[in-house]
Parts: sequence; structure tokens; C-alpha cells
Amino acid sequence: MLEVKDATISIGGKTLVKGLSLIARDGQITCITGSEGSGKTTFLRTLMGFLPVEAGFVSVDGELLTIDSAHAFRTLMIYLPQEIQALAHQLKAPEAPVCEADEYGVWNATLPSAVKEQQPEPLSPEAIFQLAEKTILEAPDKPIVIADEPAAHLTPELTEQLYELLRQQKEAGKTVLIATRKPQLLSRADLVLNLDTFRQ
Amino acid sequence: MNTGLLLHTLLGLLLLVIPAGLLYFLERPMLKNFGIAIVRMIIQLAVLCLVVWGLIRVDSPWLLILWLLAIAAYSGWIVVKRCKQEVKKLMLPVSAGLLIGVSLIAFWLLGLVFPVRIFDPHWFVPVTALLMGHATAMMIRGLSTYLSALQADEQQYEFLRGNGLAHFKALQPFLRRSLLAVISPTVANLSVLGLTSMPLLLVGILLGGISPLHAFLLMIGMIAGCVSASVLSMALSIFCYELSQRHIRQTAA
Repeated sequence: MLEVKDATISIGGKTLVKGLSLIARDGQITCITGSEGSGKTTFLRTLMGFLPVEAGFVSVDGELLTIDSAHAFRTLMIYLPQEIQALAHQLKAPEAPVCEADEYGVWNATLPSAVKEQQPEPLSPEAIFQLAEKTILEAPDKPIVIADEPAAHLTPELTEQLYELLRQQKEAGKTVLIATRKPQLLSRADLVLNLDTFRQ
Repeated sequence: MNTGLLLHTLLGLLLLVIPAGLLYFLERPMLKNFGIAIVRMIIQLAVLCLVVWGLIRVDSPWLLILWLLAIAAYSGWIVVKRCKQEVKKLMLPVSAGLLIGVSLIAFWLLGLVFPVRIFDPHWFVPVTALLMGHATAMMIRGLSTYLSALQADEQQYEFLRGNGLAHFKALQPFLRRSLLAVISPTVANLSVLGLTSMPLLLVGILLGGISPLHAFLLMIGMIAGCVSASVLSMALSIFCYELSQRHIRQTAA
């Protein structure tokens, strides 16, 4: 169970939400929604301990979550980030660069130029679903699932499959927390929290 | 420098009359650049040899340690500049990584592999210079790969951290990429060494009057040392850098 009590969350000196309270229970799907820029991602990052709360507190199963203790709590979490389409290298590690011998000299060589790694090609909707499925299924013992706009890059069919996967997690007694604006997911949540109602 | 040595040096330089003459007839504007390059080369070599001559003449372990510190600091600066990074942020971890990595390998080579008096300047200076030169070149490849991969794939680090991996564990895919950036060209080059390329070091050893068998043993030791020093220095530098950045990365992830 994840609990947030009277939380004020700010980023870059700007207060996004104030006086926010929420209890995301085990065996339930809780959806966080709100207009663009309402702080859904920031809120999830706060729940994961990447950002501190300015006021109030966050707790996991009654234990206080702080920046310092966050790592221990994150070992209990499955996390699907908003930019999941950028995780091509998580699905397939990049191969070793192909080098010709004359590109390099062991002795008396001139200094090489700096290497500039490029961003990987974005994943296809099928690959995104594959990665999400792999991440969830590889961690059957983790009791909390946090997904940030998990259906943003998926087709309606794959969104349905992902929902089914998340529903199975809920049935397994896990706390499922989703940031989304998709009606397809919002309509089937056990609890919906709209961040716009807590905006300054 | 005695008169004979000066005369022989001048006779050596006289050979440059051939390319200079051809340039005079065929590409006269290039002649100036050619002349400047030769003068620069002579000055640079003279300064380097003067330093080495001083180190050999004084023959003090403290001076040799100072030499090692100086080349580590200079190499660290070169790496940071080549990688287009902030000197304040990276120079210390890179120089420390190079210093520790090169020192450990150099002491192993000098004390156990060759084996000679560790602080004999005739051995200490060329061995540390070769190891440092190679580690510097490889550090440019490895560190720039590491830093740019972290920047390009920042989401992957966040994903791994969010799924419960510790800081250094989440850096593992990026360390792997930087290791590949160092090892791949090494593998490509070592497989043709001696077949399509004649290493200048081997030529130098043979010119120094050492037998081919001993030259072979020295080459093997130096190659193994260079490859190990480059990987070790890179790992140590990244470790030192990440320790200094740990708090910043944890809260920014």
C-alpha cells in the first residue's frame, strides 16, 4: 500500500500540487490523471523517491519514504517510464563497434577523437509492449507497479493487452498505480485522482 | 652534446633536402609549412629529451614520482579537453584514474615482468610514458563513449533505477559500452600487429641493441601492460567520477 498525506510537490521552485492525499491500496488499480503539465510524472517520481515532498509525507506499507531510503523501497517496485519507447537498448544491448586496425595504433598513434553516441531508434508499439510485459513478468515478487502513461505509444489493441496484464497484477494483490489520460484505462480504474483539483 | 653527435644530427637532417627540393620545384607554397613542422618537431623532441636527460642524470625516485604526477595531470587535461567536458568536473577523477592505473601496471612490469630496479629512470620513464600515452588515447574513446551514452540513453538509467537497481548496477550497461569502445579497436589492431604493421617500439628496442628474443618478451609485456592499464585507468576514472556525481545523479534521475 502506498500512502501520500497532505503532500506539497514543487519542481524548480514552482508548486505543482498542494495538500494532496491518496491511498493506493493493494489489489486495486489507482489512476492519476490531469491536464498536460499538471505534474503526473513529477508525482510518480516523488512516490518513487526521486524527488522530495516539500510538505507532508509518502509511505510504503506504513514505512516513511525519503530520498535516502528510496532505493530500498524501489526494490519493491516495477516501473514503466513515460519515455519507454526510448529504451531500445534495454531490449537489445548495442553491439561492439566495428573497428579497422588502421583506425588505431598501439604505439605512437595520434590521439583519437571523442566518440558521440546517438540516441537509439524509438521502439515500435509491439516492442514497447514486449518490454513492458518482460519488465512486469520478470518481477513476480514485487508488490507495487508504477506505470507512467503506459499506453501513450500503443495501439488500442495493445493498450487492451497491457490493461489485461495490469489487471492480472491487481488480481495478484499488487498495488497498481498508473498515470494516464486515456479513457480506456481511466474508466476501469478502482480509484481516479485528478491532479488538476490540487493545482495552485 | 659533443661535436660528433651534432655533426651526425646535421647529416640526418640533410636528408630532408630531398623532400624540400621536390617541394621547391613542384609545390612551393607547401615549403613554408614543411619547414615550420620540421622546426616544431626538433624543438619538441629537444625539450622532451632534455627532460628525460635531466631525470636520468638526477636519478631520484622522488623526481620520477613527480614526473608521473605531471604526466598524469597533463594527460587528464588532454582527455577532458578532447572529450569537450568541464575541467573542474572531470580533470581530478580522470587524472587520478590514470595515475593509479598506470602506476600499478608500471610497478608490476618493472618489478616482476622485466624485472629491473623499479626507479631506474632508463626504464621508468619510457615504460610510464608508453603506458600513459596508450591509456590516454583509450580513455578518450572510453570516457567519451560512456558520457555520451549516458546522455543519449538517460532514460535507460532512470528505468533501471526505478526498477530497484543500485546506482553502480544501473551504470553497468554504460560501462559495458565504454569497455567495448576500448577493447574493439585493441582486438582489431593486435591481431595484425607484426603482420601488416611493424610496431615502432619493437624497432626502437632492436635499434637499442637488444636481441630479438628479448625484444619479443619486452613487446609482449608492454602490450599486455598497455591494454590492462587503459582498461584499469578507465574503470578507476569512471568510478571516481561517479562517486563525485553520485548525489547529483541520484536526485536528478
